[in-house]
Amino acid sequence: MVNATLNTATQLYCTTHPAMGTEYSLYLCAASREEAAATAQPVFDEVDRVDALLSNYRPDSELSRINRQAFDHEVTTDPETFRFLATCLTWSERSLGAFDISVGKLMKVWKFFGDSGALPSQQELAAARAAVGWEKIRLNPEQRTVRFLAPGIELDPGGIGKGYAVDRAIKILRAKNVPAALLSAGSSTIYALGAPPAEAGWKVRVPSPYPEGGTISTVILRDTSLSTANLSEKNFTHEGQFYGAIMNPRTLQPVRGMLQVTVISKSATDSDALSNALFVSAAEDRAALLSEQDYALVIRQPSPEFVHQDAPVYEGVRWPSEVAHHRLAELSFAKEKENI
Amino acid sequence: MNRRSLLQGLSFSMLAAKLSGTSSLYGQSEEPQPKPARTISANDRIQVGFIGPGSRGQELIRQLLRTPGVDIAAQCDVYEPRFAEVNEMVGKKVPACKDYRELLDRKDLDVIFIATSPAVHASYSIAAMRSGRPVYCEKTIGFTPEDCKKVVDAARQTGQIYQVGHQMRYASWIVEGVNRVHSGEIGVPTHVYGYWHRSDNWRREVPNPSLEHLINWRLYRETSGGLLEELGSHHIDIANWVFGEQPQTLLGTSSIAVYHDGRTVGDNVQAVLGYSKGRRMFFSSLTDNGLMADQLWVYGTEGSLQITLADATLYKRTSKTITEASHSNVVQKGVQTGASYTTDSSIPYRGPGQRLNMKRNEDPTLTACIAFMDCVRNKKQPFANVDVGFKSAIACSIGRDAMYEGREAKIPQLTA
Repeated sequence: MVNATLNTATQLYCTTHPAMGTEYSLYLCAASREEAAATAQPVFDEVDRVDALLSNYRPDSELSRINRQAFDHEVTTDPETFRFLATCLTWSERSLGAFDISVGKLMKVWKFFGDSGALPSQQELAAARAAVGWEKIRLNPEQRTVRFLAPGIELDPGGIGKGYAVDRAIKILRAKNVPAALLSAGSSTIYALGAPPAEAGWKVRVPSPYPEGGTISTVILRDTSLSTANLSEKNFTHEGQFYGAIMNPRTLQPVRGMLQVTVISKSATDSDALSNALFVSAAEDRAALLSEQDYALVIRQPSPEFVHQDAPVYEGVRWPSEVAHHRLAELSFAKEKENI
Repeated sequence: MNRRSLLQGLSFSMLAAKLSGTSSLYGQSEEPQPKPARTISANDRIQVGFIGPGSRGQELIRQLLRTPGVDIAAQCDVYEPRFAEVNEMVGKKVPACKDYRELLDRKDLDVIFIATSPAVHASYSIAAMRSGRPVYCEKTIGFTPEDCKKVVDAARQTGQIYQVGHQMRYASWIVEGVNRVHSGEIGVPTHVYGYWHRSDNWRREVPNPSLEHLINWRLYRETSGGLLEELGSHHIDIANWVFGEQPQTLLGTSSIAVYHDGRTVGDNVQAVLGYSKGRRMFFSSLTDNGLMADQLWVYGTEGSLQITLADATLYKRTSKTITEASHSNVVQKGVQTGASYTTDSSIPYRGPGQRLNMKRNEDPTLTACIAFMDCVRNKKQPFANVDVGFKSAIACSIGRDAMYEGREAKIPQLTA
């Protein structure tokens, strides 16, 4: 996803590191492989630290501790975790609940937690309904405490955690005065720091939502982030119906009819949260979510029902670059022929 | 120059002063100082003065920030960049100083946390206790045998609450595991084998070569007991807990096998500690291969207990273990042996394993901090009290020199 032309003094190196169920990649210019690896180490240490703080897959994380205790009593937490939770609730409020980290239980009943998904029973859905809802999370800034107002609530940072980790890791690079780097969290969230030598910025290709689809747009990023929400990672098909792992907290169902949302925003935390919020939001609510500096490219099916062969519809809520409409349309037709 | 000869030419206070950039400390700290007037009631927020917010210290601060009713009120470090790091974590500017005496002179502090290099633990914690505050000090309680004794004496004289940073004693699964051992579930515990293997050169990044010894204090004998002290002390403490006593002897070895980078402590350690009735503890630490990671086994006559940083598992002997008389050679899988041994019977020896499921697997450092604050509010002595600290620290302190000199050491016992 990255192209860069470099001068002869340095070379582009890519260091990868597994974390948060994906692979992080750091691209940077350095004089040697050793120099690149040395620069990358504290960056990935920071990613691991954030993972240890916020992972809902790790029982020893601070988030898991909050999940276990916050219904029984107020949980005092550290300022960083508290700020993170406050940011999450701000996004919930802004998105009218489309973004919601209280979907942990919902992810579990749909078997998307550590698995690729399956239909829940009605009883499971009923139990999840009681345990989902950002309004049931109370933060007390005076005491720095968290409290859940309903039993069974489980916070799931899936819609924002990678973006937050990228922001924190970029902070390490800035503190070390690294002039140019690109950090990618499994391609779902990217931050472009500075620009490669003699370049205007980092050239990043936005892929098609279809696995075979190639590039649908190319953007030049500098000191900004790009996040993409789509259903490629975890999904299943049941009786011809496709279900992906982005949940609508209001309906308790996976979002249908959406293919992909890509957001460009100054903060990786914001672009991650915003891409997911836009993915879930009703069409009429999307524009209000973007600030003046943000860009978003929404790709959806023409009808709410997810039919893979339909030609997609683009909604460039605001987008800085050309979009290859025709390529995706062609691809969609080609796929249809294959199926015939 | 080895550590002993260096220390002979350098008094402890000079060493402390050298590290902290201040003048002699030890003698002055023995002077009694007025006790703070404040009595802490159940609803009061406890004001923490923190000395030594380096890497371990910051982890402690992180957990203190998760402890109800606690404020980080002042910080002290000889290395100034730490102050901004602490301020970032705490989310506000925490009053800072470079001289620990200045911190102890403050009137707004209720308790003192110490996470410096162990070379100054004794002098700082004794001064802190004499200033009238409860103390939480990272292990080990003292660097030299004399230090260890002086800390115990000061705690007894002042009656202050003193908790040592043996946080494993506050891990729910370890408490449960040791309780099960004490209740006889693995028969008579006879051996404890501790492994702390890492793939990590233990070296910290140094922004300026002049700071090498300050930042990489773990790598030099003048300031560090090496892997035995920094890691092994935790396992020795668990062995002490299991056996209900402190070790009597230590025979060990240490060398530099991988990192020939100027360090003077070993990058690997193997030590055998002797307890009464022939019971033994073995500790191994490697830094170039993390295969075994951090795990500890308690072997008993009827089973075993495995302890890790995340869980504990009991293994019982099974009836499939069979020992038969054999008078002929046994050939199995190409291995010829004359013993009454089959691979079949060796494999199920451990049994299937019973993981101890705990309701709450909280971070032991957090649980230790919460327990300490409970002791402060309720004027109780901690589980990891100064005696506990002495019994692991003395083994590390005595054992350190014995390992370098290749001899078995007798470990002085704590007296009542």
